[in-house]
Amino acid sequence: MTVEEQVREIVARITHVDKSVITRESTFKEIKADSLDIVQALVAVEEAFGIEIPDEEAQKFQNFGDFVSYVEGRVAQEEKV
Amino acid sequence: MSLEGKVALVTGGGRGIGRAIALKLASQGADIIVDFFRRRSTAEQTAKEIEALGRKAEIIRANVGEEAKIDEMFDMIGNKFGRLDILINNAASGVGRPVTDIDVKAWEWTMDINARACLLCAQRAAKLMEGRGGKIVSISSLGSFLVWPTYAIVGVSKAALEALTRYLAIELAPRGICVNAVAASFVETEALQFYFDEGLNEDDIPVTPAGRIVNPEDVANVVAFLCSEEAFMIRGQTIIVDGGFSVYSPSLPGKKKG
Repeated sequence: MTVEEQVREIVARITHVDKSVITRESTFKEIKADSLDIVQALVAVEEAFGIEIPDEEAQKFQNFGDFVSYVEGRVAQEEKV
Repeated sequence: MSLEGKVALVTGGGRGIGRAIALKLASQGADIIVDFFRRRSTAEQTAKEIEALGRKAEIIRANVGEEAKIDEMFDMIGNKFGRLDILINNAASGVGRPVTDIDVKAWEWTMDINARACLLCAQRAAKLMEGRGGKIVSISSLGSFLVWPTYAIVGVSKAALEALTRYLAIELAPRGICVNAVAASFVETEALQFYFDEGLNEDDIPVTPAGRIVNPEDVANVVAFLCSEEAFMIRGQTIIVDGGFSVYSPSLPGKKKG
């Protein structure tokens, strides 16, 4: 499973939204994710990939695609190390 | 009031009230462990400021809503410092919702961080304070007994924290551990912005009879006092820091002006 698929599954599980409706362009508002959903999704993704996503970075995410790109970048970085 | 040689853990110590408490205790001589969850950069900044005061600072990332993370944090403290003199239960979270919209997820998230963590941290801290005594201060809120719009979950969690403070104070008194809480009204922090985002209006923030909003340092000053030997006989109390807000009722008829 790709990073994007894994992140989508986590977000879908937490927000109770069907994963087929979560596209890279979807905003958190569009998938009805409130502040608690977002923080829980961040924590779940952190644990799944063994990374840390500080709020300073998370606040820059405009949509699901930004979230995925950040995680992809961090995972690639970890693999290099 | 010297805290020279003391080791203090401040949960959520990177920013807001926790940061002010960490700096105040450090200014009185304590070495500080700053727990944080979401913002590493602010915790690092607070640690730098503690070190600039000539004290040791350690930062640790732990979501106190998770029992395993609390265990890891106290294992680190035990290994690194071998003891703990002061525990400040400050970390808090919450979801702004009307009571009728509260679901189990929001309830558990808030209660685990704001109330259960105080229990688990106090249990672990008491072991590290064994034979030497200590101080535990938890940060509460007037929302534990006043009703504010959308504040229900946090208010209930703070009521639990205050009740727990009383039980801990009595049970830990024979071990030389003083347990108290400090409750503030609206405090000028980043967390206040969070409640604006969740639906609180600026008009809901009253100016206190003391003429200004409470700031984090006001809370930190009282916490530092409760951590001192001068406060030895204060046990199981919740000290209110609100500029007189909670005892003033402007809706009652007063003397007509003019």
